[in-house]
Amino acid sequence: MNRFLMLSLMACLALASAYAQGTEIDFEKYALDNGLKVILHQDTSTPIVSIAVMYHVGSKNEDPARTGFAHFFEHLLFEGSENIGRGEFSRYVQDAGGRLNAYTSSDNTCYYETLPSNQLELGLWLESERMLHAKVDQKGIETQREVVKEEMRARYDNRPYGSFRKEIARRLYRKYPYSWTPIGSMDHLNAAAEEDYVNFYRQFYVPNNAVLVIAGDFEPKLAKEWVSKYFKDIPKREGPIYRPEVQEPPLGGPVRDTIFDEIQLPGVFMAFRTPAIGEKDFYAVKMLAKVLSEGESSRLKKSLVDEQQLAVQTNNDVEEREGPSLALAFAIGNAGVEPHVLEKAMNAEVEKVQQEGITEEEFRKLQNQVESQFVNQNTTIAGIADNLATYEVLYGDANLINEELSHYLAVTREDIQNAAKKYFVEDNSVVLYYLPKPNQP
Amino acid sequence: MRTIKLIFALMYTFIASGLTAQSDDFRRAAPAPGPPPEIRFGEYEEFTLDNGLKVVVVENHKLPRLAFNLLVDVPPIREGAFAGAAGMAGDMLGRGTKNRSKAEIDAAVDFIGATLSTDAEGVSGACLSKHKDKLLEVMADVALNPAFPEEEFEKLKKQRLSQLSYQKDNPNIISGNLAQMLRFGEHPYGEVPTEQSIEEVTVGRCKAYYENYFLPNASYLAIIGDITPPEAREVAEKYFGQWKKGTLAEESFERPDPPSEPAVAFVDKPGAVQSVIDITYPVDLRPGTEDVIVGSVLNTLLGSGGLNSRLNLNIREDKGYSYGVQSRLSYDEYVGYFSAGGSVRNEVTDSAIVEFLYEMNRLREELVPEKELQGIKNYITGSFAILMERPETVARLALNTARYRLPKDYYANYLKNVNAVTPQRLQEAARKYLLPGQAYIVVVGNKAEVADKLGRFAGDGAVRFFSPSGKPVAGVEEPLPEGLTAMDVVENYLAAIGGREKLEAVQDVSLTMNATIQGMPMQVTLLRKVPGKMNLKVEMNGMTVSETRFDGERGWASAMGQAQKLEGEEAESLKGQALIFPELEYHKKGYELTLDGIEPLEGGRAYRILAAGPGGVQSTSYFDVQTGLKVKTVSTQDAGQGPVEVSSEFSEYSEVEGIRFPHKVVASGMTPFPLAMAVDSVKVNSGLADELFNVEE
Repeated sequence: MNRFLMLSLMACLALASAYAQGTEIDFEKYALDNGLKVILHQDTSTPIVSIAVMYHVGSKNEDPARTGFAHFFEHLLFEGSENIGRGEFSRYVQDAGGRLNAYTSSDNTCYYETLPSNQLELGLWLESERMLHAKVDQKGIETQREVVKEEMRARYDNRPYGSFRKEIARRLYRKYPYSWTPIGSMDHLNAAAEEDYVNFYRQFYVPNNAVLVIAGDFEPKLAKEWVSKYFKDIPKREGPIYRPEVQEPPLGGPVRDTIFDEIQLPGVFMAFRTPAIGEKDFYAVKMLAKVLSEGESSRLKKSLVDEQQLAVQTNNDVEEREGPSLALAFAIGNAGVEPHVLEKAMNAEVEKVQQEGITEEEFRKLQNQVESQFVNQNTTIAGIADNLATYEVLYGDANLINEELSHYLAVTREDIQNAAKKYFVEDNSVVLYYLPKPNQP
Repeated sequence: MRTIKLIFALMYTFIASGLTAQSDDFRRAAPAPGPPPEIRFGEYEEFTLDNGLKVVVVENHKLPRLAFNLLVDVPPIREGAFAGAAGMAGDMLGRGTKNRSKAEIDAAVDFIGATLSTDAEGVSGACLSKHKDKLLEVMADVALNPAFPEEEFEKLKKQRLSQLSYQKDNPNIISGNLAQMLRFGEHPYGEVPTEQSIEEVTVGRCKAYYENYFLPNASYLAIIGDITPPEAREVAEKYFGQWKKGTLAEESFERPDPPSEPAVAFVDKPGAVQSVIDITYPVDLRPGTEDVIVGSVLNTLLGSGGLNSRLNLNIREDKGYSYGVQSRLSYDEYVGYFSAGGSVRNEVTDSAIVEFLYEMNRLREELVPEKELQGIKNYITGSFAILMERPETVARLALNTARYRLPKDYYANYLKNVNAVTPQRLQEAARKYLLPGQAYIVVVGNKAEVADKLGRFAGDGAVRFFSPSGKPVAGVEEPLPEGLTAMDVVENYLAAIGGREKLEAVQDVSLTMNATIQGMPMQVTLLRKVPGKMNLKVEMNGMTVSETRFDGERGWASAMGQAQKLEGEEAESLKGQALIFPELEYHKKGYELTLDGIEPLEGGRAYRILAAGPGGVQSTSYFDVQTGLKVKTVSTQDAGQGPVEVSSEFSEYSEVEGIRFPHKVVASGMTPFPLAMAVDSVKVNSGLADELFNVEE
């Protein structure tokens, strides 16, 4: 290794630890014989405890003819188990004074509850029931199918611009199973038989495909005993667990389209393919997105919303994924602003970064923003539990909860400029115009 | 038979349990909880500065961060035609001070990775503790020295107008606004900003709002996080000590009552696949009363207790009608409210309302089982513990204690009081605060598929319709005066603008109007000449964008250099538009008029007349009941992409050559936004040449 490189890396690490002072999250990590990873973080300041169980299954693990399964399971697995009656799952948590919920992404599914500290064992029992023998039957499937349909209507169909993720995904990915979104297809869910559901459960809801995190006020020795009691006998999966190993070829040219929606103001949605978690430039792209839209003084917001008054709102974000990720930028135009005017203004800001890079002052601002965000992501134990699980499952290292800042701070101004030149380019983009419906030809 | 089955089932259970590990028995039932932890209300310090600013400090060093919330306790104020002024004033605080421009404020806040936001009721910010002085300097500047720069105000106004049109499509916002207007009625809480009211707001109004209400003696500052109380006192003095105290003017308003019987209010959202339901009414529930605590248990049980609330168990889990429904019982010093609702698919809209009302009634009629009540109490206790994790919650409750003059131990005793609620007490509260028989049932959805099933929920059996901005449209109509005919209304109008004789003497009229589109000025010239000729020209930047001609029989249009003949229906519709005063013809053969009703319109009530012309062209016109003037016409036009409802609103009538012409015309339907046109000039009988109306072959 080049000596100077090593020295500068060490300097960055030193800087990062100075930054992160006082925010260290101590945790202990171990695994059961059946492959279940367990992470414990003790914090006794409030008498509550959070449990997160993250399964390494998301919409990308689905059969392309059965999309929406991973998310559907998130609903289905609240229906009960062999020992928990239908609908009682959340009743147990609520009656114990706790809260619970779950979410599904392209890569993972997470279930979590926060309980008073004396109810940890209850939470572990519930989660182990979910993992061991959840109720996957026709009655539950039918009810949750209706609920998911309503979710689809409320969040996507009945919401202005609500289809943009779906429309972007199907154009940005040709081979990789990110070409559909977690909500999936209602037709696929309707067509699926009970057996399909059972098979999905048996393949993915297994201890060797999950991480269990306990954070908050608990006694570690007791917690470990309970983890063992409830989880150690859950059989691991012996066969393979499906992980897509598809190579997504470069986009190879811009993709453009127009979507007509029930909206008043035109919108421009722009997506670029960006590196996966763990790949070079991953953090540089994240920083670049912040240059463009973090805070009122960021380039897109200042220029489009404030100075030129072209947009009502604009934003830019990077979705962090195990496979080819994406950066998504959008702007909703002010009354009467044409979409191509918006697009041009968005591109102009990106081009400035490509050609001139960012200023030293801007760079320091970015580092301060990243640091602040890093501290703020651990304000609740539920948040800490989720972060530990996410870092472990998607990034392969729970300790990033303490160290990720150093990866951000290792990014240079040049890295950010290069990321703009390499990824935020026309040939690597999908651009969608959203227009009000009556104008449809 | 049954016994045999049972024996088999039992045997099977024995065999099955014998086969699986015996230790699995522990799985059968939920494990018992440990001894309950003590949940303590977080500690805080409080002091008052000389200028009356009350400061609450919640010390918490877990993370190196700090938050500052400045809350200005503004009493309800009537904004009337300027609704939205307070909100804009709040927004203006962050858009320039006597020392900093907006760009400088943004840059300073972003540079330290902090957040800062301002609104009508204060300013709040958060940062890492090492940056506290940098943030406080900007925050205090924003709160104490706002400059209200005119240029920023214009930008803000434009953004607000855009936001309003952006929100116009959002059924949740439409529903929320209408619910607010209905339940609070004339009370200031019922005021919702509109495009018109935002247009009316001036910088002066914003300044006045700030000067009248941003007073330290009516404000509270919460300092939360990585700081000691002495340090907190020091920074509070340093940054807010110079703030000048003043006298707060408070007006009192009548408390709105719930309706005497249920009323159904409907907003049409064509094409909607779901209905947004909100069942709502005002309540008298004031902070600090015992009822607040009982009410909170009641509402948690009904609809705010997550997936296990009665509403969710019924409507989501049992029926699968919705992704989630919820209720809210909100306390307030002046007027509280109840609201229950959610989004449900079209075909079950009425069934879902039945279930909402059923669950409300059930709590009034049946005692809640002890076990269920205990579960809810546990849930509230646990939620309280979870909330206590955040020092922000402690600060918020400490502010409530000060602001509403609650007993000092109100929140310390909160859980004790929650646990003392009995099923009887809960039922009493249900009968007082759950009023299914006195609710506004607001539904935003697909009228064609949903509306006709909802009349049965209203006391009078009628569905009242509203526009997306909350204006009544063709609702329950007032009866027409006895003996009045459509032709009477038309004659009345003709008399009001000058009388038949004068109007029939008009040979031609030239109108020029201007409007702004995309910030660019546009000019419209409309020439009309008897018998039924027309020329309509639209110009922008001196260039002709489009021109439409009608020579009495044939039509022709050109747009951006492309011309085409207009035939069939299009030509037929032009025939009507080409008449200077179409109402002059209404008594003739071939016209069919219907006096359809009286409708509330902006600024008054109007007779609604349906007119069908000789060619079958139909239109609806509205004539003001008081003045007789025509205020609006609506017709369906085909712009080549399917039928579109086009309307024109007329106002600001003034006299030209003895005839009253409208000097403001707002056209909607042809453009994504209503186009407001101001009439620059009206010329009567200037002798327009026939060539102007020639249709080129």
